[in-house]
Amino acid sequence: MKTFPALASFASFLAVLSGAPLGARAADLKIADLKIGDKAPDFTLPQVSDGKAVALKDLLAKNKAVAVVFVATKCPVSNAYNTRMAALGKEYGAKGVELVGINSNKTEPAAEVKEHAGKHGFTFPILKDEGNKIADAYGASHTPEVFVLDPKGNLIYHGRIDESQDDARNVRSPDLRNALDAVLAGKPVPTAQTKAFGCSIQRV
Amino acid sequence: MRFVLRLLFAAAGLAVSALSARPAAAESVKLVKPEQYRSRVVAAKKGRVVLVNFWATWCEPCREEMPALAAAAKGFPSKDVAVTLVSTDSIKKTADVQRFLAAAKIPFVCWQAKSADPQRFIEAVDKSWNGAVPYTLVYDRKGELSARLLGPQTERSFAEAVRKALAAGP
Repeated sequence: MKTFPALASFASFLAVLSGAPLGARAADLKIADLKIGDKAPDFTLPQVSDGKAVALKDLLAKNKAVAVVFVATKCPVSNAYNTRMAALGKEYGAKGVELVGINSNKTEPAAEVKEHAGKHGFTFPILKDEGNKIADAYGASHTPEVFVLDPKGNLIYHGRIDESQDDARNVRSPDLRNALDAVLAGKPVPTAQTKAFGCSIQRV
Repeated sequence: MRFVLRLLFAAAGLAVSALSARPAAAESVKLVKPEQYRSRVVAAKKGRVVLVNFWATWCEPCREEMPALAAAAKGFPSKDVAVTLVSTDSIKKTADVQRFLAAAKIPFVCWQAKSADPQRFIEAVDKSWNGAVPYTLVYDRKGELSARLLGPQTERSFAEAVRKALAAGP
């Protein structure tokens, strides 16, 4: 399609008028902003354990829900949740919820991610998202950040594992657990959107 | 005698103000609750452009961009632009925050977010922020939000955002 420069600049003018976000990220245009209820983008990514391709649609077909967690090897906040993630993966895996980790950091190669997953006893698949394409498609901004999808692939929870950044014994708001328990009980997720501090995903 | 006393008081006052003008690295990190963010961190500097940088000692890109922020700040007179840090470290880590700022000779005032649930703080700062750091907000002289800078920045991108806020007028 031919591009008309005047039209393009008018479009960007309209974007400004319509209250497009203030400032400043080169990649702003391609990063999604997934909302609760939206259909989550499909993906097929290699798992770091053996390089085998894992497709979201296959996980959705086999489970009552899929929790996609953006993780890191070097982020201390993500690392503070390693034990919690390993436990959640085992506990909810047995109940028909698949936890799947995605590492999109350009600074963390697949071999390092594999070693990290082994060291921390992650029994759920960890996938490598080279070029942060899936992080962009989901609008994931930091680690750890969770997207829970129902079997149709619709987003039903987005946010944190819980509110306690540095102390697993002191959790008062186990938001991911609450969301997964609600899904398993066939109830609406009590709080579908939560926030916490975390490390920015290191994009290309 | 009264004159001498006045002189003494004036000298003491000068000594105190000289102390407070020392780089923030020597100052203590102060805690700020969600409901205090607007008044203490932003409005307290009213009349100036305010750049607030959210960071954490555990955040490598935050630590890495700090010299760029310091370099950018040097390009603007402090009567026009105030740069303030807000650490999102756990409040158990205040000593680490202090230590990092002192060791890196970071010349800015630093607050530390105090909120049992971080979400309350994030929402109080900016509803469209989801908590990823580094994160920088720039307010114009009227205290209106002028720019959101997501992720690590450069000296140039910090300076551009400040210039844009200055251009918004007095």
